[in-house]
Amino acid sequence: MTLKELIKKVFFIEIVKGMALTLSRFFTKPVTRRYPKEKRPAVLGFRGLHALVRNPATGDAKCVGCGLCAAICPSRCINVYTSEGSEHQKVVDRYEIEVLRCVYCALCVEACPYGAISLTPHYEYADYSRDAIYMTKEKLLENWDKYMGEDGFRYFDTFWNPKETHYKTPKDQAMFKGRIIGGFSG
Amino acid sequence: MSVLESLMQPGSFDLVLNIGGIVLKIAIVIAVAMFHVAYATYFERKVIGHMQVRMGPMEVGPHGLLQPVADMVKLFFKEDIVPTNADKPVFYLAPIISLTAALSSLAVIPFFDGFVIANINIGLLFILAVSSVGTYGIILAGWASSSKYSFLGSLRSAAQVISYEVAMGLSLVGVIMMAGSLNLTDIVRAQADYPTGMFAIPQILGFFVFVVAAVAETNRSPFDLPEAENELVAGYFVEYSGMRFALFYAAEYIGMMIMGSLAVTCFLGGWTIPHFITSVLPFLEYVPGIVWFLLKLYFTIFFYYWIRATLPRYRYDQLMAIGWKLLIPLALLNILITGIIKVAVN
Repeated sequence: MTLKELIKKVFFIEIVKGMALTLSRFFTKPVTRRYPKEKRPAVLGFRGLHALVRNPATGDAKCVGCGLCAAICPSRCINVYTSEGSEHQKVVDRYEIEVLRCVYCALCVEACPYGAISLTPHYEYADYSRDAIYMTKEKLLENWDKYMGEDGFRYFDTFWNPKETHYKTPKDQAMFKGRIIGGFSG
Repeated sequence: MSVLESLMQPGSFDLVLNIGGIVLKIAIVIAVAMFHVAYATYFERKVIGHMQVRMGPMEVGPHGLLQPVADMVKLFFKEDIVPTNADKPVFYLAPIISLTAALSSLAVIPFFDGFVIANINIGLLFILAVSSVGTYGIILAGWASSSKYSFLGSLRSAAQVISYEVAMGLSLVGVIMMAGSLNLTDIVRAQADYPTGMFAIPQILGFFVFVVAAVAETNRSPFDLPEAENELVAGYFVEYSGMRFALFYAAEYIGMMIMGSLAVTCFLGGWTIPHFITSVLPFLEYVPGIVWFLLKLYFTIFFYYWIRATLPRYRYDQLMAIGWKLLIPLALLNILITGIIKVAVN
């Protein structure tokens, strides 16, 4: 052991260095965000609470009841109940999402050919009962109005690339995987 | 002669006054010490938080200032659980021994000139003895809990405190040699007469050994093996809850304060400030001694937190190696050097 090593060991030089570092950090500003008081806005494309897109023309949901979202959902939390209408069209009677089982994979949004379902940036919806978080069609439409608002479509188009806007289905084909027309529009 | 009659005797009024004065002093010291314990926990969380670029307690009161009050209320109303197989009388006794031993050390510490509860001529020895008695509380707690974690924690504590007490006692020998007394008030006066105003400068080796040994003696990080959270859950007080736990906790913090006060009185000049400072800034002489004492004490306690925020825990063999192979030889060397210089000067 050289003299230098001995001095290093006896006087704990490394420890002194470490203590200088902690003292310097003592005088820096904390990085803490005091969450309930200081809210951080969700990043764009955040996968929060679900919403059904409201069609501005009709005022009702865009959903046609095809059930692709329910089919692709890995946690099977989407239930769509349809019946036949007077003009032989599909009528969506009930559209329900059991939010507590959802894993927020957003496959439903990707699967929807009409861009009818969305995940909103809203994430503070903890409640005391399961019923309050069980989403019915009315509640989901309300979520769209509340959390996506007027700017909702621009946001939705930019970050969720709904097939309705960005893909075109060939007329003779009953599938929704088409080629991109005009690329992504921001 | 009954007690009442003896009180009627001439001169006994002075005795009553004297006893009353001592009781008042004790009450003041204990109240102030307990207040300091409460806020030591707050500042520990705050200081360590800021050193880790966090904030520490912020919610209860402005900047979390009422956090100790909330903690106390919580501990007071917590359920008091005693394990079924516990040795009950010993289990009840252990925290009391621990806290009493810690509190009784406060009796001999001179907080400022003339304010000391018991001005005994072996003050330093008394503190060392009583801090060893505090270890009984820890060992008995571990034994009485009938839990392997508690027991291992208390065994570690016993081994650690015994090893480091040697180094600590030896490091203080240098101070005793320079002051020529075991009375803490005399030691402070000797420092005030000394050119540097404190013994930390000529006794730098002894001071270093004392600081490390004091951290180990109070079972604080990085030598907190007795309560190593990730191995022993919480060590010797795993099975304690509510107020009994609070007693151990208070004992630990008072232990810290005792060691801090000992460092202040033996090495940092107690309630005095060095002459070379007062000769430059004469108005500082009008500052009361208790202010200097507390400022120095707060610095030592801050140092405890600072070490805790910086260092990970030592391994058991490293702990023993530092104690026996480094600190004790250094302390002996310090005694030798002090002795040679003292003989040479005389």
